[in-house]
Amino acid sequence: MAELILQALYSGLLNGGVYALMAIGLALSFGTMRVINLAHGELVLLAAYMAYVVESRLDLSPLAAIPLAMAVACAGSALVYLLVARIRKNRELNSLMLSFAIGIIITNAVLLIWSGDIHSTGSVSLQEAVQLGSLYSMRSELYGFLASLVLVTLLWQWLAKSWYGRAVRAVSSQRDAAKLMGINPAKTELISFLVAGLLAGCAGVALYSSSVIQPSLGHALTVKAFIITVLAGVGSVPGVLAASVLLGITEALTVTLWSSAVQELAGMLLFLLVLFVLPNGLFGAARRRA
Amino acid sequence: MLSVTDLRAGYGAINILWDVSLRFPLGQLTAIIGPNGAGKTTLLRAIMGLIPVTLGDVTLDSYSLRGRNTWDMAGMGLALIPEGRMVFADMSVEDNLAMGAFPKPHRPALARNLERVFGLFPRLHERRRQLAGSLSGGEAQMLALGRGLMSEPRLLLIDEPSLGLAPVIVHEIFAILRGLKEQGVTIVLVEQNTHMALAVADSVYLMRSGRVLLNERAAAVDSQRLHDLYFAREG
Repeated sequence: MAELILQALYSGLLNGGVYALMAIGLALSFGTMRVINLAHGELVLLAAYMAYVVESRLDLSPLAAIPLAMAVACAGSALVYLLVARIRKNRELNSLMLSFAIGIIITNAVLLIWSGDIHSTGSVSLQEAVQLGSLYSMRSELYGFLASLVLVTLLWQWLAKSWYGRAVRAVSSQRDAAKLMGINPAKTELISFLVAGLLAGCAGVALYSSSVIQPSLGHALTVKAFIITVLAGVGSVPGVLAASVLLGITEALTVTLWSSAVQELAGMLLFLLVLFVLPNGLFGAARRRA
Repeated sequence: MLSVTDLRAGYGAINILWDVSLRFPLGQLTAIIGPNGAGKTTLLRAIMGLIPVTLGDVTLDSYSLRGRNTWDMAGMGLALIPEGRMVFADMSVEDNLAMGAFPKPHRPALARNLERVFGLFPRLHERRRQLAGSLSGGEAQMLALGRGLMSEPRLLLIDEPSLGLAPVIVHEIFAILRGLKEQGVTIVLVEQNTHMALAVADSVYLMRSGRVLLNERAAAVDSQRLHDLYFAREG
């Protein structure tokens, strides 16, 4: 039993890494523009289909699809931004409807182009079992987790140190003051959406490499990313990683100790419980004013 | 010279400034005083392009600023220290200052300007790793001023720096303004503290209800008349 639980913790940890990749783009656009991109999961799914196309048509490893997946997700993310930026009135509510509609369009486009079949990678090396002590995982899961750690760290450093990363935070904190500093807010926000797109692209490839994809999955991914963003608390990059791992482990333990049928329910219960105790999320500070 | 000519501006359907004209000679400190709602803040926001101008023009050395993007102003040597400080609350003091040097041409001088600002405000140096949101009102005003100085502006517009601050800090800030003027920085100071403003200013404008009522050299101001105009007993 102890071994089973240990294995569940390990699987949950690795899964959480991929969740973080999926959620961090959503968290970024939410943090910078107060816009919840409800098409984010669909963009991740679209990127996953790029990996499928590259593998099935070109007979290459799904990992070779990373540049294409990034480009497609970036283009989609930029489109969402450009449309949202045109909304003049009641942006918070209207952007929800707008991005939700974009998500529906993507889902149906995917269905139209690639049919409703389920797909997963045929790559033997990615699906191979890797042993770590007494714990097992697929190689792709380990890759996904490591890639996530690297990318989330890079994003964190970008927001903390780079000129445009800090500008993103400045614009979200005091838009007029940021303009006075010489920062063009529209350009800065577009950059943050492009970065969200890059991460969604990687998340899509990780998803296809370690799991099964089908057209209606996008919506479920958006919900998962949203749960993680709220769990983490707005404005915390390490919080997203921690919340993702927490969700991954909760799901894995539920599957091991109870049933895979209630896996999603466990995630929702965790979500409600955390919000009940910590309304600002695990790592979200109460927003200060100055 | 920064000139404002027949400027009309406001917020959407509500017009605030009614064709005001003001001139701010280089190297001088010009104070704009007036009661609440006179349009002083609106004037500064219109000069910086934060709100659209309906009529009239703003020129810097006969070069029109009307319709320009706010984010191009820093590159032209203008800085506004906004009312209410507007510091980036969830960023460190040092990052707030760094953002003041955001335009590419200013970035190479970042280290030198940080040192200069920390020299002017040693308290900011002590607190450089703290979040700006945790500063006191006086420290936040110093940060807002320091952040504006990071781009080495030729022209500094300052909106109500003394608002809500203890007298000792107000004196400190006014001493720094005087120092900046001596270094040749042109300053436009919006202030409700008339007494303090007159003490540092070369010339003064009095605004009320979106119009300019008086423009005189600070030394020549008749304080009784100023007082009467300020409180609308005349004119």
